[in-house]
Amino acid sequence: MDGFLDLLSLPAVQRSAIGLLIAAVGLPIVGVFIIGLDIIAVRFAMMHVALLGIAVGLLAGLDPMLCGLAACALAGAGVAPLARRPTGLPGAMGLLMTFAIAAALLVLSVSGVNATGAFELLWGSILATREIDLIVLGALTVVVHVLFWRWRRQLALLLFDRELALCSGVAAGPLLLALLVVVAVAIGASIRLTGALLVDALTILPALGARNLGRSLRSMVLWAVVLGVVGNTAGFAVALLIDQPPGPVLVLVAGTLTLLTYLIPEGARDAIDPGSRTDRGGDPVAAGQRVWQH
Amino acid sequence: MSAAVTFTTVTCRYGRRTAVDAVDLDVAAGEHVALTGANGSGKTTLLRAALGLHPTAAGTVTVGGESARSGVEWARRRRDVAWVPQRLAPGRFPLLVDELLDSGGHPDAARAAAGQLDVGGLGRRPLHTLSGGQLQRVFLARALGAVTAGARALFADEPTAALDFDGQEQVATLLAKLPVTVVVVSHDRAMTRACDRVAEMAAGKLRVI
Repeated sequence: MDGFLDLLSLPAVQRSAIGLLIAAVGLPIVGVFIIGLDIIAVRFAMMHVALLGIAVGLLAGLDPMLCGLAACALAGAGVAPLARRPTGLPGAMGLLMTFAIAAALLVLSVSGVNATGAFELLWGSILATREIDLIVLGALTVVVHVLFWRWRRQLALLLFDRELALCSGVAAGPLLLALLVVVAVAIGASIRLTGALLVDALTILPALGARNLGRSLRSMVLWAVVLGVVGNTAGFAVALLIDQPPGPVLVLVAGTLTLLTYLIPEGARDAIDPGSRTDRGGDPVAAGQRVWQH
Repeated sequence: MSAAVTFTTVTCRYGRRTAVDAVDLDVAAGEHVALTGANGSGKTTLLRAALGLHPTAAGTVTVGGESARSGVEWARRRRDVAWVPQRLAPGRFPLLVDELLDSGGHPDAARAAAGQLDVGGLGRRPLHTLSGGQLQRVFLARALGAVTAGARALFADEPTAALDFDGQEQVATLLAKLPVTVVVVSHDRAMTRACDRVAEMAAGKLRVI
C-alpha cells in the first residue's frame, strides 16, 4: 500500500490519473456516438488517416500531429455525405482505413521517412501524459459535452433514424457533419494521448455497457460516463497496485465491467433506470384533453 | 388551415427502374385521398418524394402552391406536412415514446392524441419495447401533434397496417375528422371508405377511381 501511495505522489502518475479522469468524462460520449453511427471501425480508420496526415506533415515540413488531426477532421467531414446510404458509414470506415494506409506509406516513401518513426509519433502512453495533453483532453471533453447537451434531442432523433430527424426539423446534414468531425478528431487525438489500445477502453467499452443499461440517449450517455469513470479509476488503481502497465489492465477492467452489464436481466435494467418509474403511473395526459373529437 | 397538394408529372427511379412514372394528382385543400395499389406500385416512393426523402427524376410536388428545391424549402415542406412512415424505424438506438411525441412540434397535442389512441401511458418506454400496433399508434399521435403545430397536410403510409379491426376503424374515424389535407396510402377498407376519393397506382402510374 505504501508503494501505491508513493506512486500516486509522483507528478507523472498524478497527470496520468487526471488525464484518465478527464478522458472518462468526455470520451465515453464519443463512444456512444460511434455506436449510434455504427462506425466501430472508426478507431482503425482514424489511426491510418492520422498517419497519412503525419506523413503529409513530415513531407511538407509542417507540425505532423496538427496535420494528423486535420486529416482526421477532413476525413470525418468527407464521409458525412455517405450517411444518406443505409450502410454508407460502416463501409466508408473500411474504405478510409485501406485507402489512408496505402496513401500514407506512399507519402512516407516519397518523403524518405521511416514508417515506424511516423507511427511512433502516433503511439502515445497514458503514463507519458504532459500538461499540454491534459489541456487538449479537457478541450475535447468540453466540445463533446457542449455538442451533446446543446443538441441532445436532435441527436437522439438523428441516431435513431435520419429520416425521422429530417421530418422533425432537425438539420441532419450539418449535425451529422459536426458529429463525425468531433468523433474523428477525438479518436485521432486520443490515440496520440493515450495509445491505441486505451482508446477502446475509454470510448467503445463504456458505450457498449451503457447500451445495455440506458433506455434513452440521455441515460446511455450518463451510464457511459459512470462506467468510464469507474473503469478508469479502478483499472488505474489496480495497475498501480500490481505494478503492471496501465493500458492492458485498464482495458481488462473496463471489459469486465462491460461484460457484467450483459448479465443484468431486462427487468432489473428497467428498475435501475430512474425514468421508468413514471411508466407505471398510467396516462399522464388529462382524459378530457381530446384534440380531434369535434 | 389546410393546403392543396399537387403532384405534376412526378417521376422517381431506383437506378434504371422507374418506380413512379409521370404521376399527376391534384388534392384540393382539405380533401382526403386514399392511395391504393399493389405492393411495389410506387405509392410509398411518391409520398417520400413529396417530402424530399427520395429524389425525383422529373416533375414537382407543391404544397399550398409552394415547391421545394433548397434545404430551407425542404425544411419548410417537412413542417407543412405531418408524416406517418410505412417502415417504422426499428432504431439502432433507444428513443423514448415521449421523445418521439415531442419531435412532432406540439408535445401537448401529441400526448393528448396518444391518450386518445390508447398509448398515453407509454411515455417513458423505449420504442423498441412496443408492439407493432402500439408503435403505429405512437407515430400517428406524433403526426396529430404536428398538425396541431401547424402542418397543413398529412401524409400517412399504411397507418393502420399493424392495427386490429377496432384500431383500424378508430384511426379511420380520427383521420376523417382532421381539418387538413390528407393523402393516405392504405389497403384498409375502413380507411378508404373514410376518404373523399380513392386513387390507384399500378406499375408506377396513377388512375383515379
